[in-house]
Amino acid sequence: MFADRRIGLMLMMPAMFFVGIAFLLPVLILLAEGLRTSEGWSLARYTSFFSDSLSQEVMLRTLRLGFGVTLASAIIGYGVALTIANASPLTRSRMTALFILPLMISPVARTYAWIVLLGRTGLINKVLIGIGLTEEPLRLLFSETAVFIGLLQLFLPLMVLSLTSALENMPSDIIPAARILGANWLTIFFRLILPLTREGLIIGGTLVFTGAVTAYITPAVLGGSKVLMLETLLYQRISVANDVATASVIAAILIGMSIVTHSLIRRLTSGKRSS
Amino acid sequence: MSESQFLDLRDITIAYGAQKAVENVSLSVAQGQLLALLGPSGCGKTTLMRAIAGLLPLTQGSMTLAGRDLTRVPANRREIGLVFQSYALFPHLSVFDNVAFGLKLRHLDKTEIEERSKVAIAMVGLTGFEHRLPRELSGGQQQRVALARSIVVRPRLLLLDEPLSNLDARLRLDMRSQLHRLHHDLGITMIYVTHDQAEALALADRIVVMRSGKIIQTGTPEDLYERPQTGFVARFMGFENVLRVTSSGLVSDEGSLPFATQSLQNIHALAWRPHHVQLGQGPFKGRILGASYQGDSIEYLLDTPAGHLKVQSPAASPRYQPAQEIAFDLPLTHAISLRED
Amino acid sequence: MMRLSGFSILALAMLFLLGPFFIIAAAGLSAGDLLVFPPQGLSLRWFVAILDIERFRVSFLLSMELAIISTGLSLLMGVPAAYALARYDVPFREAMRTIITSPVIVPAIIAGLALLRYAVIPLGLPVISALILGHTALVAPYAVRVVSVSLTHLRVDVEEAAILLGATRSGAFFRIVLPNIKNGMMAAFILGFITSFNQVPVSLFLTGPGISTLPIDMLGAMEFVYDPSIAALSTLLALMTILIVLLAERLLGLSRYV
Repeated sequence: MFADRRIGLMLMMPAMFFVGIAFLLPVLILLAEGLRTSEGWSLARYTSFFSDSLSQEVMLRTLRLGFGVTLASAIIGYGVALTIANASPLTRSRMTALFILPLMISPVARTYAWIVLLGRTGLINKVLIGIGLTEEPLRLLFSETAVFIGLLQLFLPLMVLSLTSALENMPSDIIPAARILGANWLTIFFRLILPLTREGLIIGGTLVFTGAVTAYITPAVLGGSKVLMLETLLYQRISVANDVATASVIAAILIGMSIVTHSLIRRLTSGKRSS
Repeated sequence: MSESQFLDLRDITIAYGAQKAVENVSLSVAQGQLLALLGPSGCGKTTLMRAIAGLLPLTQGSMTLAGRDLTRVPANRREIGLVFQSYALFPHLSVFDNVAFGLKLRHLDKTEIEERSKVAIAMVGLTGFEHRLPRELSGGQQQRVALARSIVVRPRLLLLDEPLSNLDARLRLDMRSQLHRLHHDLGITMIYVTHDQAEALALADRIVVMRSGKIIQTGTPEDLYERPQTGFVARFMGFENVLRVTSSGLVSDEGSLPFATQSLQNIHALAWRPHHVQLGQGPFKGRILGASYQGDSIEYLLDTPAGHLKVQSPAASPRYQPAQEIAFDLPLTHAISLRED
Repeated sequence: MMRLSGFSILALAMLFLLGPFFIIAAAGLSAGDLLVFPPQGLSLRWFVAILDIERFRVSFLLSMELAIISTGLSLLMGVPAAYALARYDVPFREAMRTIITSPVIVPAIIAGLALLRYAVIPLGLPVISALILGHTALVAPYAVRVVSVSLTHLRVDVEEAAILLGATRSGAFFRIVLPNIKNGMMAAFILGFITSFNQVPVSLFLTGPGISTLPIDMLGAMEFVYDPSIAALSTLLALMTILIVLLAERLLGLSRYV
């Protein structure tokens, strides 16, 4: 550690000023705009947003999808991560790389695939008609289910990666030891694995949850104007009505949720370092 | 100290916030001398060494090297070398480039850089390894690269921070004699920081013992070994049985032994080496707690009214069994007298 | 038994995550005029056709340019910041760290809207510079984080050793630190590049008829293009990304920094 505080400060300045002025300041002004009406500062925008039935519906849907996707990815994630963690080191690192890969690919391209799959003449409908489950093609696109599937595909890797690294940090002889003592898999999972990987679950969960509730592309492409989420509502309010006040309220909600989840992660990870 | 001292530290204090890591230390080193800074971890020896190198600012005090005031000279112009405990080799540079680094910064001409680097590499016995990267070397080899890198620029003063602590026992002895030879051949003034009294005794011309940021005792190895002045130094130098002197006898934290202390006025404590405690006869009674065979001697742990004492007897002398009650003596002729810590 | 069901879960998850890419690639390879799976015959015609669409060419180049400039800028600012955080006793460290990482916390769409309303419109800032501002801020936290990771692998005393051998503080940085965090910086560049290139929400409000990024253009085209051209383009993009990621993993061990 070098002692000279001035040099340290100088090195921080470009990034500080840049992010502060070019990013944070405009965002803060936007947030302030939601707290102002023609009569001065007030929470009127917030009360009217929360009492509006469409906003309520979108809020609820966003939360529902957020929690739903998080829960689904946790269930699938444990199945996948337990399998990966038991594999040989080489397989493990290859698998990990395979789960990182989709995260890098354009979310637009990732979401577009579902149009091909879920459309009226898409693969799923063809299969369903082919095996006689339905006669008319089902309306799969522009539904909450489609958005759910799209979000799950987008964010599942984050959960798998957090759980895999949590499982790798777990002492490897714990499970065999419990098996010798006669514990069944259910007991082992709820008594051992879940408590020991709690941190990884929470980190993965908050990443998936924030990702899902702040998603734009998936609800825009797979939900359309019928299945709005908070970000698509925000975009619609601006592009249709230039309603900055509502946009500002939505922004505050999104930022609020994001801050809560990120501070949760930070507390967890910094607690780990100090112990 | 006199003007002719090569390195002169005056009244140095180094504080981190309210905490003083080094307090009012004055110290001087003659040219060509090897001085050992000896003390347990956390005693301030590494902090003091880093301050001498210029890596830490002084809170108070001054220092001169060869008559030049160093206080305001930045680390890169002090001409002081430092061999780090971690070696701190440049990971991306070969052995040759590591060694040549300092010379290149001095803008010497190419042939001189090459010549001097080769000599330094040869001096530490690494000829043939010039193109290896640090990670391709063993710990001992990395250590020698660090040494070569520091001496090739001919520093006025070379600091060594626990240079042998990351090596295994055999390598340590080997490196110790190599260091001794290097010091002898090059005549560089060195300060050697260590917590190992054997290293300090073997290498140093003079030893400075530090504790809690302060100098406790300074002297030649013989001085320190034969005449430690406080209980702390005495224990460091193998006088493991230290007892305080009071009017009622010899006292430890655990209890006391009756002892005629009238003649011991102004003496704070007495200390004996394990082999100077006599077993089998004497005015005191103790009980053997345990015995361990050391080859040419046997070491006993003795339970006495004044707590545990360590005793060493020649292997040829009569053996005692654990739990055996036994008489012993603490002969005054072999005791050293100590002042308060 | 356990093993078998474990691997079938893994296989299903992989199918779910990667399967759609194969379907989209197959749909893009169709010889017919409609976006369907299975494709109607196989041909590369849509892959060729997509390269001929002026609009996509322009926005592809803009996206490339934008990603390179903003990632470069964010590294230019992020490396000193990461270095200061790693090596110096910086005043208000936590507050500053929070500000620099705030783009991770603020959803990008909000940043885009805020930049449009309070920078582009009132200041008459050209849209392209607003895009650069937004993307740079968005990538900066990643640059700081990735470079920080590689700085933790380089002990401070290595720099001190260089200084004691006569190097200045900045000399030690350029001769010793920089060569040793080069891989980390390259990893940061690749991650930043991909993040910026794929970025939609921040660009949403900042693009318009005259100027658009590739993902935004693709989003727009999805609404009225029903032929396999978008599928072909998506496939090309995915392939490009896979190639970059695999190459980076081979050369730099990219996954260490993710």
